Amino acid sequence: MNQQELLFQADDMYKSFGITKALNNVSLKLRRGQILGLIGENGSGKSTLTSIAAAIQPADSGKMYKSGQPYNPATTVEANQAGVCMILQEKGTFDQLTVAKNIFIGKEEMFSKNGIISNRNMNKEAQKALDHIKASHIRAEMPLGVLNFEERKLVELARAMYMDPEILIVDETTTALSRTGRDILYEIMEKMKKEEKSVIFISHDIDELLEKCDTLTILRDGIYVDTLEKEQFEAREIKRLMVGREVADNYYRTDMQSCENEEVILKFDSIDAGSLKDINFELHKGEILGFGGLADCGMHDIGKTAFGLLKPEKGYVATGDGEIVKNPANAMRMKMAYISKNRDQEALMTASNIKDNICLASYPKLKTGPLVLPESEKKFVDKWADELEIKMQNSNQYVMELSGGNKQKVALAKWLGFGADIFVLDCPTRGIDIGVKSNIYNLMIRLRSEGKSIILISEELSEVIGMSDRTIILKNGKISGEFAREEELTEAKLIDYMM
Amino acid sequence: MTADTNVISTDVKESKKPVFSIPDFRKIFPVLGLIAVIAFFQIYTGGKVFTVRNLKAVINEGFFIMIGSVGYVFLLSQGSMDFSIGANMCVSCAAAAMGSAISPVLAIPFGVGTGIIIGALNGFIHVKFKIGALIATLAMQFILNGFVVILLDGGTLQPPLNMLKWNTMTLKITTFLVIVIVGYIVFEYTPYGKRCRAIGSCEEVTKQTGVNYPLMKFIPFVIMGAIAGLLGFFSLIRTGTASSHTGSELMMNVLNAALLGGIPISGGATSKYRAVVIGGLTMAFLTNGMTLMGVGNYDKQLIRGIVFLLAIAISFDRKNMTVIK
Repeated sequence: MNQQELLFQADDMYKSFGITKALNNVSLKLRRGQILGLIGENGSGKSTLTSIAAAIQPADSGKMYKSGQPYNPATTVEANQAGVCMILQEKGTFDQLTVAKNIFIGKEEMFSKNGIISNRNMNKEAQKALDHIKASHIRAEMPLGVLNFEERKLVELARAMYMDPEILIVDETTTALSRTGRDILYEIMEKMKKEEKSVIFISHDIDELLEKCDTLTILRDGIYVDTLEKEQFEAREIKRLMVGREVADNYYRTDMQSCENEEVILKFDSIDAGSLKDINFELHKGEILGFGGLADCGMHDIGKTAFGLLKPEKGYVATGDGEIVKNPANAMRMKMAYISKNRDQEALMTASNIKDNICLASYPKLKTGPLVLPESEKKFVDKWADELEIKMQNSNQYVMELSGGNKQKVALAKWLGFGADIFVLDCPTRGIDIGVKSNIYNLMIRLRSEGKSIILISEELSEVIGMSDRTIILKNGKISGEFAREEELTEAKLIDYMM
Repeated sequence: MTADTNVISTDVKESKKPVFSIPDFRKIFPVLGLIAVIAFFQIYTGGKVFTVRNLKAVINEGFFIMIGSVGYVFLLSQGSMDFSIGANMCVSCAAAAMGSAISPVLAIPFGVGTGIIIGALNGFIHVKFKIGALIATLAMQFILNGFVVILLDGGTLQPPLNMLKWNTMTLKITTFLVIVIVGYIVFEYTPYGKRCRAIGSCEEVTKQTGVNYPLMKFIPFVIMGAIAGLLGFFSLIRTGTASSHTGSELMMNVLNAALLGGIPISGGATSKYRAVVIGGLTMAFLTNGMTLMGVGNYDKQLIRGIVFLLAIAISFDRKNMTVIK
C-alpha cells in the first residue's frame, strides 16, 4: 500500500492562537484510497490542521501539496474546487434557509436564468444529492430549522458529496449521528475508498477509528506523535500515545452495585413537556440515573424540565418533600445544578473570565453584608479550580481560551462550589478528550458516594451503561425501558429499546 | 481495579503572559484619549484650559456627563442602551419646574419621580414586549420630545428665582461624589453589578443559573430614569428655565463618555466602572475645549458624531462576533 500515490501532503505546519501553539511543526501524508484517522485529545490540533487544509483558516507557516502540486487555497470555495471538502464539528448550516439553499449556498448561479434563480430546479438537484447519500427522508424544500442536529449534519454531508470531493474531511461528526446516520457516513467513506479517493476522519471514539481507518495519525498538544498502520492498531497503545503515558482500558465505574437508598430526592410525575410524553420516574439519594436513546428521543428535554427551564404542559417535577420545581431559581433553592449539552452557548459565559463563571451561581453565599469582596471571590475560585484541577494561567483568563475539557471543568466547578445535591448533567463529556473524561467520571463516582444524586443524559450509550445505577431508555419522548445496573447490560441489548 | 487508578492528569503547561496584547491596549486607550484631549486643547487655546474659572466650567459640564454615565454603565454592561435620557431629562426638568410652582421643595420629587416613571416605562416596554432597547428608547425619545412641547405649551417654565441659589458647588460636588461612589460599589462589588455584566456576557447562561433576568434587565432603566430626572432638576436650578432644548446634548455626551471610557457597546465582562470617570472627564474637557475655541453648536454635534463612531470602532468587542449584523 505504501507504493500508492500521495494525494495530499502537509509539511511543517505551524499555527498559533495567541500564546497557544495549536500546530507545532506538524506534517501529514494522505494516500489515494486511504481512510486516515486523526486522533488526539482536545487541543491536540486535529481540527486546526484539517481546517487549514479546507482553507477555513490560514496556517502561520508550512507547505501543502495536492497530487504533488503546491496547494494554497485562499477560500473554502477554492478548496472545494480543488476537491477538498470538510464536515465541521460544529454547526455549519443556516437555519433560515431551505435544505436546498443550504446545499447550494454560494453556487446559486448554477440555477440562474437571466438573473432569476429557479427554486424548482434547485430543489430537484438538491433532492438528488440527498438521495445520493441515501438520506431521502430529508426533503430539499424543508426549512433547515425544522431538522435536528443529525439531519443537519447529513445535509452538510450531501453538500460535500455533491461536489464529488477527492478528499473528504469528517471532523468529529459521528457523535452527533445515530446509527442510521453513522451507517450513511461509513458507506460513503467505503465508497470513496473504492473510488481511490481519500477520507480524513476525526473522532474521539477509538473503537470507531480502529474499525474504519486504514491508518491513524496521532497528535498531542499540536505536535505530531506517530502514525500507525492497520496491522499496528492496538487501543491501549493508541491511548498511551495520545496522553503520553499508560492509560487503563476502562474508565467507567467498575463496581456493579446499584443504589440501594430508597429515599426519593426528585420525582417526575406524568410529565408532558416539549417532546416528552407521560414521563414518570423517581431519582433516589446517592443514585446516578442515566438517560439514553437516539439523538431526538427527548432525553435533553428531561434535563431542561428537571431544572425548570422547560415548563411541563402536564404533570410536575417535585423534590422528595413534595416541593414543585417551577423555574431555575426555584430549582437552585432545592440545591439543583444543570449543565446544558450546549456548553459554549448555555453553560458558560465564554467571553467572561473563569472567576466570574465559577462565582455566578454562588453570589448569595459569597456576600459579606451586601457586598461581594474580591478576596472571598478569589478564595472561592481558587478552591474549586484547584479541586477540579483546571488548567489555567490564572482565574482572570477568559473561558474561551480554554480547551473543551477545561471548559467543562469550569462549568462543574461552578456547581460544585454552589453546593448542589442534585446534578443534572446533559452530555457532560461531549467532545471531551479521554483524560478529562475520566476525571469527570471519577468526580461523578465521588459525588455519588457523598450521597449526591445525578441525572446523566448522554448520547453515548456505553457511558450511560458504564456509569448509571439505573438506565432509562427513551424512544420518541416516551420511556421504553428501565434497567438496573448489572454485568449483562450491554449496548446491543438496549438498542432494541431505542429504535 | 478501583476507579481511582484511572486518573489521568497531564502536566500543566508553562506559559508566559504576552508582553503586550489587545486587551491591554483597550485598557490604556481611554487614559491616552483623555490625555490627548486635554493636551490638544491646552496647547491649542494657549493654556486656557487650566484656569480656575475654566475648571469650574469643566466641573459643571462633567457633573452632568459623569452622573449620567453612572446610569449608563449598568445599561451598557448588559448590552442595553437608552436613547431617551436627554428627552427624559427635559420632561423631568419641566415637571420639576411645575412642582416648584407649588412649593420649591417639590421640585426634586417631581423631577426624579418623572424620570423614574419614564425609565420604568422604557424597561417595561423592553422586557415585557421584547422590543430592542435601542428601538424602544428611540421611540420614547420622539414621544417625549413631542410631549414636552405640550407640557410647556410651546414656551418655557421658570422656577421661583430664589431656587437658583441652590446651585452651589458644595451641593453639586456632594451629589456627584455620593452618586459616583455608590454607583461604583454597586457595580463592582454587589451581586447585582456582577450579574449585569454576566447578562451582557451571555444571557442564556444567567437564565440557566437561576438569575431573574427580566427583573435584572428592567432595573437599569429605572436607575437611568431616576438619574435623568435628577439631572433635570439640576438643570433647572442651573439655568433657571425648563425649555424643550433642555438636555439635548446629554444623550450623545453620556454615550460617548461610556464608550470612550472603554465599555464595549456589546456589554459584557470587560465593562469597567472607571469608564465613568475617565470617559466623563474626556467628554467634559472635549465639550469645554470646543467652547473655548468658539466652535458652534452644530459643529459640536458634528464632532460628537465623529467621536461616537471612533469610540465604537475602538471599544467594540469583536471577540464575540463572527458576523457583523
